[in-house]
Amino acid sequence: MKKIEDERLKLQNLQNIRIAYIVQTFGILGILGYDLVTKGLEGMRANPLWIVFIITTVISAYLSMSISVDHESNRNSPKKSLSISFGVNLLISAAVGIFVSMTDGYTMVNGLVIGGILFICFLVPAMYIYYLRAKRQDEELDE
Amino acid sequence: MKNNVKIARIQADLTQQQLAEKIGVTRQTISLIEKGKYNPTLKLCLDICYAVNKTLDELFWVERDHHEEN
Repeated sequence: MKKIEDERLKLQNLQNIRIAYIVQTFGILGILGYDLVTKGLEGMRANPLWIVFIITTVISAYLSMSISVDHESNRNSPKKSLSISFGVNLLISAAVGIFVSMTDGYTMVNGLVIGGILFICFLVPAMYIYYLRAKRQDEELDE
Repeated sequence: MKNNVKIARIQADLTQQQLAEKIGVTRQTISLIEKGKYNPTLKLCLDICYAVNKTLDELFWVERDHHEEN
């Protein structure tokens, strides 16, 4: 098969892939919905399609971050936004960690682990957004 | 979008197929551009200009009034 050089066909190809992706997503959702009804939540999550669905959702969320960053109109410094989200993140993770360790049947270590995981999970997208904003600001300075 | 690609191509004595091969696109794309049904990228516009020895202005410029009608 020859590589497509024609820009119009490349674009057409991307649009076709988008349609296929939509159909595929509906198929996955249908199968997962069927599993949810027949086998319950645990049965649905045992299906490997669940992992595929979650991974594609996370990837598409990360990719759309670069679009929403370009869409922003406020000119706050990226560092300030990062420190705010860092602070809020720290507060929430600490609160969850403390509450978990105070719950019956859970130890201090459990609270630490859950709080730590939560902190890292929020930190990664915050750092990524910071990176995108800083990059965009550099591009604006180049003008 | 109206343009003068067809006139320039005939003046340069090229068929759609020959022009397409020169630029490295398909004949259908040239046909759609001539009919104004496909909006080419600036890169492709420049390639067409080089192939028929014309400027961007000569091939693609339209007066504002006319542009807004479309």
